Amino acid sequence: MEDLGLKIFGAILTTILGFTVGMTYGGIVRKLTARVQNRYGPPFYQNFLDLLKLQVKKTNIAHGFMGHMAPVWIIIAAVTVLLFIPILNGNLWFPNMSFHGDLIFLLYMMVFGSLGMALGAGQSGNPNSAIGVSRGLSQMVGFEIPFVLSLVALMIQYETTSVQELTQIQHETGVWNAISNPFAFLAALFASLGMFRYSPFDIVGAPAELASGPVSEFGGKYLGTMMSGGAIFAFIKLTLYVHLFLGGAGNPDNTGIIATLLGLGVLLIKTFTLYMVPVFYGWINPRYRTEQAIQYFWRWPTALGIIGVIWAVYS
Amino acid sequence: MTELIKEQHLLDSLTSAFKIKGRVIRDRRVEVFADKKMVSGILLFAKKQLGFIHLAHMTCIDWIDENKFELIYTIWSPIEKIHLFVKTKIERENPEMENIDSIWDQANTYEREIREMFGIQFPGLIGEQDFALEDWDEMPPMRKDFDTKKYALETYYQRPGREDAKDVRETISERSGTKVPDFAKKYSREK
Amino acid sequence: MINDKDSQKIVDYIQNFARKQSLFVMAYGTGCGAIEIPATMTSRYDAERFGIRGAATPRQADVLLITGYLATKTLKRVIRVYEQMQEPKYVIGFGSCTINGGMYFDSYNTINALEQYIPVDVYINGCMPRPESVISGFVKLQELIQQGKADNGKKYRENLEWYRTNQKKIIKNWKMPDYNW
Repeated sequence: MEDLGLKIFGAILTTILGFTVGMTYGGIVRKLTARVQNRYGPPFYQNFLDLLKLQVKKTNIAHGFMGHMAPVWIIIAAVTVLLFIPILNGNLWFPNMSFHGDLIFLLYMMVFGSLGMALGAGQSGNPNSAIGVSRGLSQMVGFEIPFVLSLVALMIQYETTSVQELTQIQHETGVWNAISNPFAFLAALFASLGMFRYSPFDIVGAPAELASGPVSEFGGKYLGTMMSGGAIFAFIKLTLYVHLFLGGAGNPDNTGIIATLLGLGVLLIKTFTLYMVPVFYGWINPRYRTEQAIQYFWRWPTALGIIGVIWAVYS
Repeated sequence: MTELIKEQHLLDSLTSAFKIKGRVIRDRRVEVFADKKMVSGILLFAKKQLGFIHLAHMTCIDWIDENKFELIYTIWSPIEKIHLFVKTKIERENPEMENIDSIWDQANTYEREIREMFGIQFPGLIGEQDFALEDWDEMPPMRKDFDTKKYALETYYQRPGREDAKDVRETISERSGTKVPDFAKKYSREK
Repeated sequence: MINDKDSQKIVDYIQNFARKQSLFVMAYGTGCGAIEIPATMTSRYDAERFGIRGAATPRQADVLLITGYLATKTLKRVIRVYEQMQEPKYVIGFGSCTINGGMYFDSYNTINALEQYIPVDVYINGCMPRPESVISGFVKLQELIQQGKADNGKKYRENLEWYRTNQKKIIKNWKMPDYNW
């Protein structure tokens, strides 16, 4: 019973952590983008203010059942995936369900949120939403291939599909997967450019041409909930990458409070560094068209992924 | 006048082909005054024979004192590098003009605009009645006898204090203590 | 507890604070004033530091900027956009043309006083107003929101008949969907 209570407490803590970190990272990116553009920029907590405002805004429009369900679906998917990811390696406070879910399960679940968004946007009846959804799914087809290839490389290399075990192996050997299989890491890194939807891969939102795409009929609480879901998803992807390739965070042998905080600090540093890759790439690139984006992913990232798989087989 | 040889040559070829008057305005500018029925013939001749392949502009002027509308077709030859103005005057009552969008497709746009703004009918013109305005059922607004200020006062809500809007020249002359020059008075809004 | 006056005050304060710090501006320009918006948003004047940000659709927007002269044809679209926006919603009249018609005061095709057709929170005068005055207008709007005085969406709903009469005087062929908010 005590174990279950701890688990529930850990789950709530994880959700709060994921939400806060995701939102803050978004705010910091807005600030940094402003500084790059020689602007002063909004405060780093601007995303929280936006969210609060959206939650107190009235919403008197209905777009059918899926219109109501889409934000809920997204946030359910986000929290579910978050709970299946080890936040800290072997930690008592953030154990979650990471033993039960493996990489293949995560791959399926991460699409779940986008699917809910697609269904909700489809029911809203706005043509911009339909175009945005079709673009988003096309782009997903693009970046999923190098991403899956890099994961397959890891699975072959260590003959396991568990995130926990992959992290544990890195912890024991002391060699990051980014070093032991650099090609898989590069392929995954390229795939992350498309995952975060910063430019040049912001073809889904594209405010100038699509009126913010799938979410164009959603305002107020709906948009706010979607925003929170998106923030949690950003944290999920970053944490997953850190645990798969960058040695993870946290020490399974020592789960005291100080060690936990230290592990969280390491996690934040690693995730933030990783987050800067798509952001930096976005600052210097204009938007691609859909077919350009798909071609981008199917050329070098896919080739790197294949090399990564071969490397994993023969190493 | 040695510089204007090609302009004079163009004018000569036009006046010899048609019974029209014309003049050379300056270099690269030639105008001819044609009868209403001859316009399409002149335009077609200029396009096919003289190389004026481009309809640059088409517009209308309301000469209310003469009780006439003047239509001006501006065409351009990239070889001769001359703007040719073909001008014609039509009656103001039930104005009607030949449709030339078979010669130049882009004339359709100009003709629709003129039809809406001046009420000149072009038989066989394709396109909606509304061009830039929407649901307009008054007199065509670009006609000189349409009192736009009166219409605006009647239709739209005026903010108090705005209806005494004076002519800028008078306001400036009052402020600086000088008189409005005579040549400017005829443009004054306060009659 | 929740109907307690003091606690309601605190809730209102927090709500108004969030609303004022995060203004999503509808990216819709009606006249020549739209050209001032990029200058206001980009690096020199940077409106984003006040939380002002563009929103692409009326569903997400809080502020409707009427930038400059408003032709009767555009008025129809503006009304549609305004009615699709969700409360609380604010309107900023931008430039002399929205106040009294400006240089188009005797035009047959532009309206002269905007607040006869949709309720306006803040007017910014000038032809054109510079980005500084645009930002000062936004700051004025933020003050109004913090004081709880900017509830023109409610005003529009309650006086809908009067606004509709005025609007239908201009838009003769009224073929618009009815919004029930």
